[in-house]
Formats: sequence, C-alpha cells, structure tokens
Amino acid sequence: MSFAIEVKNLTHLYSPGTPHQVTALKNINLQIEHGEILGIIGHTGSGKSTLISHFNGLLKPNEGCVLVDGVDIHTNKETLRNSRFKVGLCFQYPEYQLFEETVYKDIAFGPKNMKLSEEEIRNRVLRAAQYTGVSGEMLDKSPFDLSGGEKRRVAIAGVMAMEPQVLVFDEPAAGLDPAGRKALTDLIKDYHRSTGCTVIVVSHSMEDIAKLAKRLIVINDGQVAMDGTLSEVFSQSEKLTGMGLDVPEITKIFAEIRKRGFDVPPDVYSVEYAEQIILSMAGRRDAQ
Amino acid sequence: MISDITFGQYYPSKSVLHRADSRAKLLLTFLMIVFLFICKNFLSLGVMVLVTVLAVIFSGVPFRMLLKSIKPVIVILIFTALLNIFYTKGGDVYFEFWRFSITEKGINNAVFTAIRIITLVVLSSLLTYTTTPTDLTTGLERLLSPLNHLHIRVHTLAMMMTLALRFIPTLIEETERIMNAQKARGADLETGSLIQRAKALIPIFVPLMVSSFRRAYELAFAMTCRCYTGGEGRTRMKQMKLSGRDFALLAICLAACAGVIVLNIFFNPVI
Amino acid sequence: MQEKLIEVKNVTFVYESDDPDTVPKPALDNISLDIYKGEFVAVLGHNGCGKSTLAKLCNAIYEPGEGSVTVKGIPSDSEENGDRIRRIVGMVFQNPDNQIVATIVEDDVAFGPENLGVEPKEIRRRVDDALKTVNMYDMREREPHKLSGGQKQRVAIAGVIAMQTECIIFDEPTAMLDPMGRKEVMQAIQRLNKEMGITIVLITHFMDEAVKADRVVVMDKGRIVTRAKPEDVFSQVDLLRSHGLDVPQSTELCHNLGLGEGVISVQDCVDRVCAFLGGAK
Repeated sequence: MSFAIEVKNLTHLYSPGTPHQVTALKNINLQIEHGEILGIIGHTGSGKSTLISHFNGLLKPNEGCVLVDGVDIHTNKETLRNSRFKVGLCFQYPEYQLFEETVYKDIAFGPKNMKLSEEEIRNRVLRAAQYTGVSGEMLDKSPFDLSGGEKRRVAIAGVMAMEPQVLVFDEPAAGLDPAGRKALTDLIKDYHRSTGCTVIVVSHSMEDIAKLAKRLIVINDGQVAMDGTLSEVFSQSEKLTGMGLDVPEITKIFAEIRKRGFDVPPDVYSVEYAEQIILSMAGRRDAQ
Repeated sequence: MISDITFGQYYPSKSVLHRADSRAKLLLTFLMIVFLFICKNFLSLGVMVLVTVLAVIFSGVPFRMLLKSIKPVIVILIFTALLNIFYTKGGDVYFEFWRFSITEKGINNAVFTAIRIITLVVLSSLLTYTTTPTDLTTGLERLLSPLNHLHIRVHTLAMMMTLALRFIPTLIEETERIMNAQKARGADLETGSLIQRAKALIPIFVPLMVSSFRRAYELAFAMTCRCYTGGEGRTRMKQMKLSGRDFALLAICLAACAGVIVLNIFFNPVI
Repeated sequence: MQEKLIEVKNVTFVYESDDPDTVPKPALDNISLDIYKGEFVAVLGHNGCGKSTLAKLCNAIYEPGEGSVTVKGIPSDSEENGDRIRRIVGMVFQNPDNQIVATIVEDDVAFGPENLGVEPKEIRRRVDDALKTVNMYDMREREPHKLSGGQKQRVAIAGVIAMQTECIIFDEPTAMLDPMGRKEVMQAIQRLNKEMGITIVLITHFMDEAVKADRVVVMDKGRIVTRAKPEDVFSQVDLLRSHGLDVPQSTELCHNLGLGEGVISVQDCVDRVCAFLGGAK
C-alpha cells in the first residue's frame, strides 16, 4: 500500500553552486500514512517550511524525491499539477492571500483552477464554509471587510474547498488570542474527524500541537531529529529545549517534580494528564 | 529563499574609495563622465582610462565584478562599434566590399567609442560598488540641499528613497509568499496567452497592494511615534566631513581633467 | 503610590465608519486608568477588545472623543501637545517589519533622536548604549531585513530607548515571533523596567507575559473588566475564561486540584504539588 506522502532521501539547497549555498534539508526520509494527524515542529530556520513546500511541488528537490500516493510529484507536468490539488497547503497568515470581490469567489478560486463544474464548485465552497464556520451571510461580503479571525477562516476554507487528500497547516494559530487558538484547534480536529483526511500541522508552539497531533516529527538543522508518538517525543524534553524549542509549562513543572524524587512519568504535556497522575498518586498514598 | 538578497550592488570592503565621502564620489564621478566626453584623442582618453584603472585598483573591487557590470552593455558596444566601422569614412582604406568600406577613421572611431563606453560603465559601477544605497541617498540629499531654497523638498524625496530601499527586499519576500500561496491553490502563472497570464497576476497583485497599503499605514504611525515631523529641526548622527582623503581624490581628478584639456589642445583630434 | 505618568479619564472612543447605516460600536467605552511612574502594567484582552486603541490614545496618536488623556499634565488635545507627549511616551508595535525605517540597524536606532534634534555626538552615544541594552550592538551594521523577527523587534526597542522616553508602550510586541524571539524580547522589556526604571505598558494576549507585570488590567468590549496584581487576576480563572482569555498552566493545575488560587510561577506550583503528594514518592 502506498503512503499519503513519502519522502525519500530529500536534500534541498538554496542558491546551489554559489558562495551563498545553504543546505536547508539533508537527506530526509519520511512516511506519512493515510488519515493520520501529524505534527511537525522545529524552530525558525530549521527547514520545516522548506520541507512542506516540497509536499506539493512548490520546490524541486536537489536530491531524492517526494511521492504522493506512490507517484513521484516531478514525474511530469500532469503529476506536478495533481500534487497541488492532492496536497493542500495553508501557509502562515493565510489571510494575506485573499483577493476576490466576495468571500464566495475567493473560496472558489482553488476549485475553479481545478476546472470543476459550476455545481461542483458551489458544493465544495459551501462544504468548506461549513467546516470553517463561515456563515452564508458572510459569503457575499468582501473578504476585506471581515475581522482578522474571520479572514483566517475564509483563507483556510479556500484551501479546504479543493478537498485535498492531505491538508498541511503552517502555524495555523499564529497571532490569534487564546480563544481564537482554541477555536482553530477545534476546527482542525473536527475537520480531521469528519473527512478522514491526512492532516499535517507545522508549528513551533508545542502546546497547540500537543492538543492536535498523535505523531510528532521534530526537524532540527535540516534533518529529522525525532519521529514518534507525542509521549515518545515529550519524554525527551531536555533534548527539545536543547534544539531551541519551548516545551509547555506543564512539562517543565513535571520535570522539576521528577527532580525532587517523585516518580512521575516524563512525558506530561497536558494539564488533564497531569491531574490524572497527581490524583492517582495521591490515591495510592491514601490507600497505603 | 531570496531573503538574502543584497540590494543594489554594493561590494563590502574598507578600501580608500569605500571610505571616501559619498558627496565627493558623486561629484567626481559626474565630473569624470563629463570629461570622458570632452576627450578628443587617444592620449587624453588614455589619461581618463589611467585614472579609472587606478580607481579600480584602489577600490578593492574584484575584476570579475566589473566584468559582470560590463556584460549587459556588450550588445550596445558591438552595435556601436559596427556602425562606426562601416559608416565612418576617412583616412586609409583597409578593405572594400560592394558599398561597404573599412577605413582607418572607422576603426579609430570604433575603438575610441568602445573604450569610452567601457570606462563610463566601469566608473559608474565603481560608484555603486563602493557606496551603499543609503550613503548614496544621503550624499544626494546633501548635494541637492541648495534646492531647498527653491522650495523643492529634498529631504522628503531622500526619505522616500530610503524607505523604498528599506522596503524593496520586504516586498520581494512578500511577493514570493503570495505567489506560493496562490500556486498552492492551483493558480497557473506560466502558461496561456498574454492576456490570460496578465489576468493570472491579479491574485498576486491585489494582496500585494492591500498589504503594501497596510504597511504604509503602520509605518506612518511608527514614524509619528518616533517624533518624525519632516526635515526641519532634524540632526544627523553620521556627520559628513570632507577629509584629506577626499581632497586627495579631488586633486587627482582635477589634474586628470586638466591633462585632458591640455592634450586635447596639443594633439590632433581623432573624433 | 508614586507620581502619575499617564492619566486616562472617562475616555470613550469611536472609530469613524464609511458606512452611514451602521451605528459604530465604541472601541473604548468610558475607560479610566492611571499609569504610575516606574511601574510595569500588562493590558490583557482578546483581539478586538480595544487594547490597541487604548495604547494609541496613551501616546496621542488618537485624540479621545470624550474624556481626557493627560501625560505628565499635558492633555493630548492638540497636535503640538501630541509631539510633546511622544517625547515622553514611546511605542513599539506588533509587526517588526513595519516600524524599521532605515537600511542599516544603527541608522534606524538613530532615527528617533535625529528627529528630536539631538547633537550628533550624543546620538552616537545613545545609539551605542541602546543597542548594547538589547544585545544588538554586534549587529549594528547589519541590514534589518536579514535579521530574525526577535532581532528586528529588539532594534525597534533600541530605537525607542535612544529617544530616552520615560515610558514605552508595547503593542503586542511578541505576537508575530517564535518562542525564541518572544523570550529575547520579554527579557529586554523586563530589563528596561528593572534596571533603567522605564515605565512599561505591555499589551498582550499571552498569559505567561502578563504574569511578569506588577499590575494586570483585563479588558473586554472596550471596558476594563478587572485590574489587580497578577496573582489576584489569575485567581479568577472562570472570569478570565468568560472573556476569551486563559490562565497559565501552573494556575490551571493548582486551581483544578484545589491546591490554591493565583499560582503563577512554575516554582510555586512545583512546591504546592510536592507538598500535596507528601510522602507519595
């Protein structure tokens, strides 16, 4: 069976052959399963944005290849074009890509480029609007009259409307307040649950990613530094901090508690989990 | 990524020319170019070439950088040389073919013009290689400041230039970001007729305009907050002061110009 | 307490609307707030609660529609007074790109003092000092567009320090930065307050930043909901949530486990949890 996305020995250089040559990605190997929800973390400049630009062929590998559904993206023009529609990329601050007169037309831009029928476009726009909570009344408005949070939703809907098999979000919650962050996290979760699509979330906020992903990939210095479940990755909080990543406050608290000689697990990344552990420990103590 | 672009073609170094006052460099470059066109024979032209070669040596700018700046004018060079060869008549005839003839004067003219153009290009690129865009702007502002009396707002123009220089890299990056976002939505920028391709630019152009206006608006706020009220009452951290170095440069250039005039008078013109 | 630096009295502010049919909602609704000399105040609130409008009123970019704003006794009611106020209250904005005007770091830091007509030698001294304060001295000759977000923001901060204003308002200075950049900027802000005695107003929606302030003001819908010391504000978990805000994870953990309210530091939280677990090693 093929993977949703498979990256094989991918190397990417910026300005190759000049004195400014920079190796952004070094021999990356990755397999992303159909239907999984995956987090990619890494600090600014680690290469994570370069990596996702390879998922839909915006960049061309200097070495290695990227397979979508088992097909090399750069086989020919046709496969390249298809990869754009199979893998939806939602960039950081996507609201800056809005340009149409109405919200409806803007969401329809992607489907239109896919040369779908008017009716199919309409269905897709409405479905995407529903996923993102864009109301029917908003569809006729100019996207430039919306609030910041609404613009972000419309932009996300614009990518969702292409109904890609894989949807990649780059820092989806950047610049949002706590309520906005939570709403967006819920939106992505709901979308994943109801469509069963593969979802990839790229971020440097460990707290947000801990609420979404099941599997985490850590990119550092252009290489895959870690690849595992949330617990596996978060249990190495010192290694993460060493890579310039900020672990959630709760993880820091539990690292401290461990240092004081308490036998708590090393992989605590959410407050709910923390409560469970403390209550069960207290329960055991009382039972003794 | 293009975020590492350097705007203009400044070549960082600490050479004599780099450290010279930008006003002096601007004036002298202008003066040299004028005299380049006053030259009438190979001897006077030789003086200018000599000064230019000296300048290149003292600038520390690598030869291949200069070649790079000559490259775009090669077509013009060849074209003017051919015109000169075939259309200037006089002196000994070296070669004749149907209605064309190649004469001594033609060859002389072609070589003369070619040297003149190359020197011109080298001189002006030396200016930009050794002076940062910011220094150029400041130098221009100071040189043109007498125009303030004619109610031309030189400071405002210079400020606009500086801001443009500051924001060009930012906007290039932004354009790249928007292009990628629209390509990810299947925008086709490469194929189709001219009209189709122009139309395909709308999804890039509109967001770019919107964001530029937003930036301009925020920048205006930020400048107000930093007490910017125009050129009046402003001081400058970096004071421009002509040093011995600048006077030495001036002396050399003036001597060269005098030489050009003398040689023009005492030897026969070739052009 | 000490001397009042900024006095906001019964201010209501309404943005003009292009659309005559809609009755615009006031961005600020009868707000009063005093900022004292030398203190560090955090203004918390979700996007669109009016906190940025408040900031722009405090350094006279906007004039209040109703009520008054005075800075050291100067009312912000004319353009002339606005210029005077902006020499006392500086501002750092959210987007680091849109507040840097020069093509070289040190030239940008010099921009403010140059506008104030400071002597060239004195500008040089101030620029060097300011860049050292934010740890950017080594990059003084770099081009701003090649810096990281956190570095750009520190250049912007140096630009205000060099103007020697008594107060700096930060309008969500870390919203567009990565964790590393956020840390750098927060460290710089705290240093300005503690070591140089500069009055700080920090507008933010990050709880972990607000915790570092002396006083926290919570805003929603153009009004002030609550104002108190950070531990007292964060002890009201439900109130904060009802205004679209959150609390730090240490506060949440202790709150949920009944280990106490208003716990705002990792250390305090660890102490409490360990005490609770007692001998359960």
